[in-house]
Amino acid sequence: MKTPQPPKLARKLFEWYSGQANVNDLLGDLDELFYLNLKTKSAFASRWIYWRQVISLLFSYAVKKRKKQVRPSAFSGSTFSFAILNNYFKIAARNLYKHKYFSIVNVLGLAIGMSVSLLLIVLYIHVSTFDNFHTNKDNIHRVITSHVNTEHDWGLASAPFSIAEEMNRGFVGVKNTVRINAGFSADAVAGTLEIPVRGFYTEPNFLQVFTYPLVKGNPATALSKPNSVVITESTALKVFNSTDVLGRMFEMKNVRQAKDSIAVYEITGVLAEPPANSHMAFEVLISFSTLPAEYQTYTGDFNEIASFGPQYVYLLLEDNKVIPTLQSLLNDLGKEASKRSDTKISFRLQALTAIVPGEELVTWGGSLGPVWENTGFIIFGVVCLLILLPACFNYTNISIARALKRSKEIGLRKTMGGLKKQIFFQFITETVLITSVSLLGGLLIFYFIRREFQSIMVSGSLLDLSLTWQMAVAFVAFALFTGFIAGFFPALHFAGLNPIQALKSQSHKQSSQGRIRQGLTIFQFALSFGFILALIVFGRQYRYNLNHDFGFERENILDVQLQGVKPEQFRNQFSQLAAVQNMSMSSHVMGIGTRSESVTSVDSRDSFEVFEIFADHNYINVLKLHLIAGKNFPNEAWAREKHIIVNEEFVKKFKLGSPHEALGKLFRINDNDVEIIGVLKNFNYTSLMRPIESFMIRVDPRQYEVANLTVTFTDAYASLAQMESAWKAIEPDKKFEAEFFDEEIRQSYDFYISFLKLVGFLGVLAISISLLGLLGMVVYTSETKTKEVGIRKVMGATTTSITFLLSKDYFKLMIWAAVFAIPITVWLADFILPRLQEYHVTLRFADVLLSLLILLTMGLVTIASQTFKTASTNPAETLRSE
Amino acid sequence: MKTYLGEFEELVLLTVASLGNDAYGVSVQLEIENRCNRSISIGALHSTITRLEEKGFLKSWLGGATQQRGGRSKRYYEITQAGKKAVTETKSMRDELWSLSKVKLSVK
Repeated sequence: MKTPQPPKLARKLFEWYSGQANVNDLLGDLDELFYLNLKTKSAFASRWIYWRQVISLLFSYAVKKRKKQVRPSAFSGSTFSFAILNNYFKIAARNLYKHKYFSIVNVLGLAIGMSVSLLLIVLYIHVSTFDNFHTNKDNIHRVITSHVNTEHDWGLASAPFSIAEEMNRGFVGVKNTVRINAGFSADAVAGTLEIPVRGFYTEPNFLQVFTYPLVKGNPATALSKPNSVVITESTALKVFNSTDVLGRMFEMKNVRQAKDSIAVYEITGVLAEPPANSHMAFEVLISFSTLPAEYQTYTGDFNEIASFGPQYVYLLLEDNKVIPTLQSLLNDLGKEASKRSDTKISFRLQALTAIVPGEELVTWGGSLGPVWENTGFIIFGVVCLLILLPACFNYTNISIARALKRSKEIGLRKTMGGLKKQIFFQFITETVLITSVSLLGGLLIFYFIRREFQSIMVSGSLLDLSLTWQMAVAFVAFALFTGFIAGFFPALHFAGLNPIQALKSQSHKQSSQGRIRQGLTIFQFALSFGFILALIVFGRQYRYNLNHDFGFERENILDVQLQGVKPEQFRNQFSQLAAVQNMSMSSHVMGIGTRSESVTSVDSRDSFEVFEIFADHNYINVLKLHLIAGKNFPNEAWAREKHIIVNEEFVKKFKLGSPHEALGKLFRINDNDVEIIGVLKNFNYTSLMRPIESFMIRVDPRQYEVANLTVTFTDAYASLAQMESAWKAIEPDKKFEAEFFDEEIRQSYDFYISFLKLVGFLGVLAISISLLGLLGMVVYTSETKTKEVGIRKVMGATTTSITFLLSKDYFKLMIWAAVFAIPITVWLADFILPRLQEYHVTLRFADVLLSLLILLTMGLVTIASQTFKTASTNPAETLRSE
Repeated sequence: MKTYLGEFEELVLLTVASLGNDAYGVSVQLEIENRCNRSISIGALHSTITRLEEKGFLKSWLGGATQQRGGRSKRYYEITQAGKKAVTETKSMRDELWSLSKVKLSVK
């Protein structure tokens, strides 16, 4: 019978815990006790005792002390010293200097990869400072609304004023409420000029709750009287050319809420320039009592979002402990409101500091200012990682591949008593050194791309992306982080080297490492492939949008903004011009922007939201819309709205049967009955992002704001000059504003250009990083194979065959990358394109083929440049030393 | 009093002394267990031994490999001059207390 053995697991545990400490004698003691016990006790009991002894040792002072005393050799120390750090830096610097080529490849790749992340860091830190300047920032909360029904799920930044009134009814813990109506916009009259200004109507306590100090005026009373206005210093300078404007009158035109749209306010205060890093952006504050009474409160149905769209409610709390009780009160209000409609309405508190960056909220009829959403940052963050990681992989790849060169050094270090963690730390230090150098390079690139980036971003111009000390700290932390990511695997690899094999220059685990390296390379090329494909597909989508048949005429149509000029007057003046063939008035430019109205069928009582344009009888002719049934509007003096012309979709939606059957049907719009007199073939009345829905053309001269002229130019310059003088004759104060219809449509898709620029830029970064990595790998393999190549050449191999031999493996990797990338990108394109736009291009085989071709060409050129060089070296040169 | 010796520390020092040339982990443990009729854990024993080494009362060296322990060597212990002094001091202090005792302590 075999004698029972001591429990292996216990021994393993003890050995693992003891690590480098010498516990051989203790293990011997344990074994001896075990065998002694076996003579008198059962095997199980002996094992049990062994376990207990091991556990008692694990917690004993004896082993702890032995572990502390470990010194693998006379030369190793367990304490940290600056001398050794100095040594690491010296070795790292020498290595970087010695292998300049690889250092440059690494630094360049990491610098490119880091530059975009630096942008993210700067942006995020800047956006995080939003609203931090308010003294009460921790106790200010905004009431936000959620509006959920079967059609939409909206979070609104605004809330009805009635909530503030509810809170003012003596809710304990609410120190102050502030109501803001953000719907103010007007043109300030400054001498002969009109300067658009935007601002809020707000209550006197706005200036107490928020930290916006006045340089002139009394903050307690500045906003109490009707028709008082507080303006910022810069507005004062802009309009009055002086900040000494207290008590002066401020004249404004086109005020949305005022009766005659002309108003004169008394300036009661001048604000120190408000910081730009706020979610509120305003130039003027108008006293709340200036608002007509119906806007000062809220009595309507909470269901109608538009009616409280510009109303914002802020609360200043005593302290944040009252939030739960406050929330339950808001819940009750929400329930009360939801009872009356099929929409679920609820209210919630949002802390001031959580507004920017914050959740995505809808604004309606007046926003407070710039908003940065969390989701945007997440997407940006993912993109940054997609650029940064390949750069880190390059480093990982090249370092592991070149491990053989460093293995002697590591073998020696280990023989002299270098511990695993010390070697690990050495290589992390080395990587951090590289990333620090790359950080400088990244900063350089960051300075170049910053402005371009700001021009692409919608509200980029509001940003101040200058560096602060917080950013400097974040940059250094980021360099350390990148160094750790890039250096982790190489450091682990070096730390795990077996000193005997390392000194003999034998590499181990070659195959598994090789697979990791190949995996990383494949990932990089798959990513590059994705970017190339995205560039091609989005470029095609842009061209598609421009060449798409919208269903109406776009060529040779000039759109002139009426700017308040009477349509009749304009028509009389412009119809005399030779260049003008035809003319029509409309409420807005077709294909760009929409408006809609609720329409009810008189017969079936069905009611739907229908998109509309107001236009005269010439509109169909000018735009060459296609009537499939009925007739155009009659050309007659307009007294009351009687007719509408609808599209096919309208007929379908109201279930009117065939287009001909739809004629003569009556519909109610705003308590007025109108009759369908014509049905149009469907056309894209709005942007191609939206599907074609029901649409109607209505007649109402009061709504006309744009004149659509069909023009034929023989001499464009002279004709435009004629038009300008014709314009001057009717409206000398305003600038003639005209634009070609096709040009306007092109501009409405300009964001694609920004988007393409962005994708293109990121793509160039990703591709250059992976090509750099490839270059590094190829140079390395070519270097190590110079002898082999020499021998092959002596034996009669040709330059071509050797080039092919050296390139083959990399070519295979690129094919693998394509194999992985194609299904993923095809799926992604199918997923994204329909969500981006209703009328979209589909991915074609040719796109994939073209992307593949571009990728392969670039890759092959990179590979061939190096392999050809190696293949054409003279074998006598390389073999001479043997 | 110059040195302080705990009860268990004194026990270990005296046992090491009594075992002479054959004092190593297992023998010390078994000797104490047999003589005092109490079971001690190897962890506690070695913690004490380590502290005694730190105080300079014990010294140790590794013996040669032996067959019965799977080739693992034994660590032998020996009492040092300072260790001898420490046990002597403890003993003389005890003797002094015994001699000063006003009651008859020895009970048979």
